[in-house]
Amino acid sequence: MTEYDHVTDDIKAVVEDTELPRRLRRRVYDTIEGREGVSTEQADEIARAVEAEYLDARIEPLEPAGTVSAQSIGEPGTQMTMNTFHYAGVAEIDVTQGLPRLIELVDARKEPDTPMMTVYLEDEYAENREKAREVVWALEATKILALGDVSTNVADMVVRIDLNEETLLERWPTVDAAEPIAEEIAETIEDALGVDTRHQGMAIEFGPSEPSYRELLQLVEELREIVFKGIEDISRVVIRKEELDDGEEFVLYTEGSAFGDVLRIEGVDASRSTCNNIHEINEELGIEAAREAIINETIDTLREQGLDDVNVRHLMLVADIMTNEGTIESIGRHGISGSKDSVLARAAFEVTVNHLLDAAIHGESDDLNGIIENVIAGKPVSIGTGDVKLRMGSMETSPADD
Amino acid sequence: MVDVSQHELVPEHIPIEGAELDSVLEEYGLDRTDLPEITADDPALPDEAETGDVIKIVRDSRTADTSISYRLVVE
Repeated sequence: MTEYDHVTDDIKAVVEDTELPRRLRRRVYDTIEGREGVSTEQADEIARAVEAEYLDARIEPLEPAGTVSAQSIGEPGTQMTMNTFHYAGVAEIDVTQGLPRLIELVDARKEPDTPMMTVYLEDEYAENREKAREVVWALEATKILALGDVSTNVADMVVRIDLNEETLLERWPTVDAAEPIAEEIAETIEDALGVDTRHQGMAIEFGPSEPSYRELLQLVEELREIVFKGIEDISRVVIRKEELDDGEEFVLYTEGSAFGDVLRIEGVDASRSTCNNIHEINEELGIEAAREAIINETIDTLREQGLDDVNVRHLMLVADIMTNEGTIESIGRHGISGSKDSVLARAAFEVTVNHLLDAAIHGESDDLNGIIENVIAGKPVSIGTGDVKLRMGSMETSPADD
Repeated sequence: MVDVSQHELVPEHIPIEGAELDSVLEEYGLDRTDLPEITADDPALPDEAETGDVIKIVRDSRTADTSISYRLVVE
């Protein structure tokens, strides 16, 4: 290592003599290098002080890290709000908060109660409101009521749609005239409902093949559900201008999520956009990204409730366990707790009788290796001082030698 | 196609083998099957990774500069 000018061999010797891990040693070298002219004695003092801090912060061997994490998340959990909704996180979008959200995360629910996405934009899309709008229309599900008026004429058995020309031109920014858009809409209706349409200008008319009042109403119902543009799962998009260090950018927040589809839309920054569904992230970006997302979402949920003094290491441990198998597993009897080796440990968690009954039917045995089993059996547990075996006397020195 | 590795949530995935792998397993006193797992169809895996390989993952850590973790590729 010749990259340091101010780290002498003597300094190196005192730092290498400490129990510091490699990364911290480098930090010490970097600091000494930055200060310039640190004497060997001072360097020794620095190294000892850093070492003492490090050893102090290190977890003791045989410490039950999982239990400590469980308590450290559980206690703040008691102070969280019970009500599911409320609070418009950013830009008037309802997001599940507090305890329900935390439970949803550790239960690894397939679909969050209130799915949402944060969509960042690229280059000119992020700078220009018109361009950002284009992406909004590509995302937001556009249904017929947003495009014009629908009226039913019972006498003639027809449904009539009067499209709003301005709205069409606004929502299809790449098309210059409203006429082809109306044609496209008419075709979409024909495909979706299986009816023949007549259209003239901005008006589209169609009706059931046989005159039937019920069928007419049925058609109107179905018409309302057709998605003409955008992604079906995304019901609303809010556009927001956000301050950056060097300027401003437009960011989109969506109600509903379709992460995979959105990443492929032109103008979307696929390196920053995220969603609050950890399963979608796992599918699109892999298990490591899902792990990150679990940590982010849990810490944000706690922070939102003013409980940000929970150490992130506890949440990292939870995320590590949940993603250990390469897929997202829930904490709880359908996931981690339910896959424990010990019958007694599983029975102690939930649905005690079922576990004991199943174990009896299959003739399972319990080796009593874990903590919970031994608490139940009233034996010393293998953590902390419980795991240390004491031996009196020594093999080499027999009493006769004294 | 979206380049998954460019996303800020995705850390670097590097397949390792031979001496590097042996020294890792020795350092932690592990068998390769004791490592955390990653499924073979994981979108963040490099193309050349196959079932049975060990992937070194270099994360931006919240508690240190970077933290290194390993996963075994499974079916």
